[in-house]
Amino acid sequence: MIEVQHLTKRYGPFTAVNDVSFKVERGEILGFLGPNGAGKTTTMRVLTGYMPPTEGKALVAGFDVFEQPIEAKRRTGYLPETPPLYPDMTVRDYLSFVSQIKGVPRADRKARIDNVMERTRIADMAKRHCGKLSKGYRQRVGLAQAILHNPDVLILDEPTAGLDPKQIIQTRELIKELAGDHTIILSTHILPEVSQTCDRVVIINKGHVVAVDTPDNLTARLRGSETMYLQVDASIDGAGIDAAGAIGTIPGVTRVGIADSRGGVVGFEVDSETGRDVRRELAAAVVSRGWGLLELRPMRMSLEDIFLQLTTQETTQDAAMQDTAAPADTAAEPVEVARE
Amino acid sequence: MNNIVAIAQKELKAYFASPIAYIVIGFSAILFGWFFVNLLYNFDRMSLQAGMGMGGPDTVNVNEMLIAPLFMNVSVILLFTLPLVTMRIYSEEKRSGTIELLLTSPLTDVQIVMGKFIGALILYAAMLAVTLVHMAVLFAFGNPEWRPVATGYLGVLLMGGCFLSLGLFVSSLTKNQIVAGMITFAIFLMFWIINWIAPFTGPTMQAVLNYLSITEHLGDFTKGVLDTKHLVYYLSFIAFSLFLTVRSVDSERWRG
Repeated sequence: MIEVQHLTKRYGPFTAVNDVSFKVERGEILGFLGPNGAGKTTTMRVLTGYMPPTEGKALVAGFDVFEQPIEAKRRTGYLPETPPLYPDMTVRDYLSFVSQIKGVPRADRKARIDNVMERTRIADMAKRHCGKLSKGYRQRVGLAQAILHNPDVLILDEPTAGLDPKQIIQTRELIKELAGDHTIILSTHILPEVSQTCDRVVIINKGHVVAVDTPDNLTARLRGSETMYLQVDASIDGAGIDAAGAIGTIPGVTRVGIADSRGGVVGFEVDSETGRDVRRELAAAVVSRGWGLLELRPMRMSLEDIFLQLTTQETTQDAAMQDTAAPADTAAEPVEVARE
Repeated sequence: MNNIVAIAQKELKAYFASPIAYIVIGFSAILFGWFFVNLLYNFDRMSLQAGMGMGGPDTVNVNEMLIAPLFMNVSVILLFTLPLVTMRIYSEEKRSGTIELLLTSPLTDVQIVMGKFIGALILYAAMLAVTLVHMAVLFAFGNPEWRPVATGYLGVLLMGGCFLSLGLFVSSLTKNQIVAGMITFAIFLMFWIINWIAPFTGPTMQAVLNYLSITEHLGDFTKGVLDTKHLVYYLSFIAFSLFLTVRSVDSERWRG
């Protein structure tokens, strides 16, 4: 559905995108991940026909975006980083204008507009001026605009930026819902979003594609071993740090490290052989010694770690694991909040 | 064609949804009214002098002495108001990011430029339409010839079209409305006064400068003369400016 071949975009001496190639199959959601200035927006702008590439080409729904721009654009919906709204127009007038220039047949316009306003939950704002909308509503009107002509391909530049947690969930659901009959590329800074919504991820840094894979594979590929976090209250018999030795003898455990320690409460990072679940043995070992088992959970290497690892080009995996283990936990927090 | 209409409608809605249209039309009407009253008193005195044989002109003609100068005065109003109309046309879209919507929609650059030009031209026509009231007064109480009035309106409309297309081009060059407005105003003024130095130059240069002057071509229109020379000048001026605008919008994509 979308094919990008050796795409390069230079602004004068500056190369924003360098030899980027990837494919997106019909109905797939592709996450576009990268630090600021990595070339995400530039790639998207080339795909939408906003600007031509310096080298290489991009095909949308079988049409070259540069050779046959009108055909390609007819099949593309685009939500830029800032929703392209006219402040003096009401939401309905705005969508009506967009439906005209996107070539929605006159007879279908009203039904389409009502439909997208319903889906993006902006129906109650129909008569409000775009300039008076809150950030969340602007973003949703922008999304409504992108899906108005029922395009085959949707290109969304940070669709959840500036939304509150509830709206983020709703928007993600909407995007997933759309995935069936639309092919979607979305860029984001929020890493958990990628693992939640996307089928595949393209990680881009300094204009280069660093990795293309499914979120699960990426996580697995970069994780040599399974890591558990175990928190134990060992103050009862003063065992404290000795617990590390006891845990280390459990079959399958390859390494035990102390993550934190407060009084008698000690947190351990327990590495085990890949594919071996040692949770039962860990729990049994702790309980049988009479210590309090406070917490036991898998410490997955999150996309943040992978992202940092790939974009900062850390070579040793261990170094990255240790450096990022703590921030990874805190960074995952907002998602928990958002779920509630 | 539908796309051009859609863009033109959008532009018009934008003018009338914001204070722009009302301010432009309202204050132009006040200025026009002031010019009209001034010329009317002047004409009144001249006809009185002529009637009493007190050394005034032998004959008085409402077309030549009132309507023609009135049309020439309209160009003064245009000089100041039209840059204010055109300065936002592209600059605002660039600044607010809505240009991304237009450039990623299935529209050609020509459709976008034409739509915007026609939108601005209709606003300008509405501005001129207000002055029909003054003309109606003249026709009610006097007996002017209608032909010079009609050609005069055509000339003023075409001259405004030149200003608008030029302003559109300048606006397509920058994100900054003030910059667009100032440059547009300076170029308008340049085209206005370009032949002021004509008397001090050689005959060839004089002809060239006179031909370039945008007001020079209005004269014949106000006298009821439809000369293809002037039509060609105005229409080619408009076409060339619009062509430049299309190229500028296109090159913007390349520059990013």
